[in-house]
Amino acid sequence: MLPGPIDKRPARPKRHRRTVADGLVGWGMVSPAVLLIGLFGLVPVVWSIALSFQHDDLETPATWAGTGNYRELIHDPVFKEAIQHTIVYTLIFVPVTLVLALLVAGALNRRVRGMSLYRLAVFIPVVTSTVATGVIFTWLLDPNFGIINAVLQKIGLPTSGFFASPNAALFAIIGMTVWGWVGFGALIYLAGLQSIPGDVLEAALIDGCSRAGAFWRIQVPLLRPVTGFLVVWLTINALQLFDEVYVTTKGGPLHATTVVVYYIYEEAFEFFHAGYAATMATALFAVIALITVVQLRIARDSSEMGQA
Amino acid sequence: MTASRTAPRTRVGGRLRQRRTVAVSTLLLLIPVTACSGGSGGGGGGSSAPTATTITLSHGYTDVEAKEIAVQVAIWNKANPTSTVKLEFNGGNDGALQKTIAGFTAGNYPDAAYEYGSSAAQLARQPKLVDLTDEVTAPGMDWSDFYPSERQAATVDGKVVGIPALVDNLALVYNKKLFQAAGVALPNASWTWQDFRTAAKKLTDPSTKTFGWAYINDGSEDTVWRYLAMLWQAGGSLLNSTNTKPAFDSPAGLAALQQLYNMAVVDKSVYLDTGNDAYLNVFNSGKIAMLWTGPWDLSSILPSIDYGVTLLPGYNGDHQTISGPDLYMLFDHSGPRAAAAFKFISWLTSAKVHLQFAIATGDLPLRKSETTLPGYQTFLKKYPAERVFVDNLNNVKNVRPNIASYAEISSAIGEMVQSVLLGQSQPQAALDAANQKVAAVLAGGS
Repeated sequence: MLPGPIDKRPARPKRHRRTVADGLVGWGMVSPAVLLIGLFGLVPVVWSIALSFQHDDLETPATWAGTGNYRELIHDPVFKEAIQHTIVYTLIFVPVTLVLALLVAGALNRRVRGMSLYRLAVFIPVVTSTVATGVIFTWLLDPNFGIINAVLQKIGLPTSGFFASPNAALFAIIGMTVWGWVGFGALIYLAGLQSIPGDVLEAALIDGCSRAGAFWRIQVPLLRPVTGFLVVWLTINALQLFDEVYVTTKGGPLHATTVVVYYIYEEAFEFFHAGYAATMATALFAVIALITVVQLRIARDSSEMGQA
Repeated sequence: MTASRTAPRTRVGGRLRQRRTVAVSTLLLLIPVTACSGGSGGGGGGSSAPTATTITLSHGYTDVEAKEIAVQVAIWNKANPTSTVKLEFNGGNDGALQKTIAGFTAGNYPDAAYEYGSSAAQLARQPKLVDLTDEVTAPGMDWSDFYPSERQAATVDGKVVGIPALVDNLALVYNKKLFQAAGVALPNASWTWQDFRTAAKKLTDPSTKTFGWAYINDGSEDTVWRYLAMLWQAGGSLLNSTNTKPAFDSPAGLAALQQLYNMAVVDKSVYLDTGNDAYLNVFNSGKIAMLWTGPWDLSSILPSIDYGVTLLPGYNGDHQTISGPDLYMLFDHSGPRAAAAFKFISWLTSAKVHLQFAIATGDLPLRKSETTLPGYQTFLKKYPAERVFVDNLNNVKNVRPNIASYAEISSAIGEMVQSVLLGQSQPQAALDAANQKVAAVLAGGS
């Protein structure tokens, strides 16, 4: 397929006949990566699937469990809770992060004195270690001595127990992780915004479109592939939520923040039910794989639509 | 995770994924490095005689303890050039069990490791564990010199699985100034639960956000062991004598939970610490009047806080406390290493050597005979507040059940206590729910 002369898209490289030498060079170049991914990515996946059919306490020799772990999983009330928490978390975390990231990116995408400082400020939470974030938020949200409750009290709003309250803890985690991820989303969106050709925007403004109108009707639709990527990325990360829970609530109070990966950790490395934990990990793996495939398909379809 | 801990928790969280990448790349970097050092004929680290053994001691000591263990090891290595010890920091004792078990899977495990007492039963299943039942009866060992609670913590199903490494217990630590300001008489060793509750209520002042007491309410073993002390004082026990059935759903179990409920929910005199890190800071800010804590916290209390230490308040005159002894556990590598490791650990935990360690770090004496050595006076002079804790070792009457499923049982009890402290359950309902869970865990076997 030769690029047409009118086609503005970058020319695709000419396809030429592959030789054996090419193949070898290619494999030689990718083999370190393939080896590493295979060793540290695929082998553990296969191993944990195998483990999910066993009882293993990581100490004594494993015994065969058949589908026992899977049957137990279906009737495990804590696992059910963990799934609910993970779904609630994902359904709030992903859209909120996306919208905030988009708005922040819009705000950062202009020429103002000291803009790089603002961009830096937005991005700092992304590179801050989760442990530090956890400590900071634990104190900010301390029910008795935290500054957030002090402010709420001063302006006459009801205070909250945050991490200490079974009803509020998950939302406190959502708030903390959104804060941590908005910078990442904004960075990606900003890159997307800056790759939108200026003439499109200029044309819209000349035609009488307002700045806000241009943002929502021109820039945002053109960012669809970026949004698609972010949705997939944020969803995968939301389903794998662990660090923030580990450093703040440890799944509590009363399982209120026990999400699937935290429960896996607890079963595997606190109670040493490695086989059962592997069963959960396998289930989670299947769900993430499925969601990712669906999301990628949707994103691809819509981005093709956008380009059509 | 046991509550016995001498240094502040070292949090092991972080960006896990990042760390894994770092680990992988470190691994890759190490391959050529080790290859090089192998090729250069063992240069650099001092030539070792062919008969020499080197054993590794994995530990999570930080600060003064890390410094002092290095001093002790240096003394040992100087005196025993053919049987030396290498220290390996495990990143913090909270993760010691996980690290050790991962080490077995990877085939790279230490000869000796510092482990929490609550990990003993889990590690007792490990085939590489060195059974010390016969060794501890050796004449030089003087096993009965260790406090009874330590020996019990080191024994699983009649098998001695480790040598005591640290002992502590809970006592009442109080801020004298807050008591004087509130006009409340200072606590003493004959306080009852009711005295304690009344004082805590008087010391609480919502307008200044001052609390009478603090309770670690993260549902971990920290939450559990304080409850256990109360349960035992009231005459109850966690499990039956054969560790096959729960026994805490009893009048004693209810009395203990009711006391917590009355203080936290009715009186609101308790600061509930969600994450185990806050209470000491709040105490240091003069906002908490009383703590139930152990000797490991004393070094973190600010000099500006004038504090006293006394026994826990008692129930019907029973003031018993709880102890969470930690252990050095030994793991077998074929050859002479296990024997060398045992020799070293025996030396390290012998009365004279450990007393030096105690004087340097403020750890309590491990052996009864340490308190009769002349150096013990130096210890008391340096740490006057620790005297109560040392005496309190004689108030340890019960130990936690040493069974592999303890972590799960602890989790169920932690949830029970938490639900009561948060006012989410009434004490009896919480007891019943936990009773069911623990019974299921014990019936499950593993």
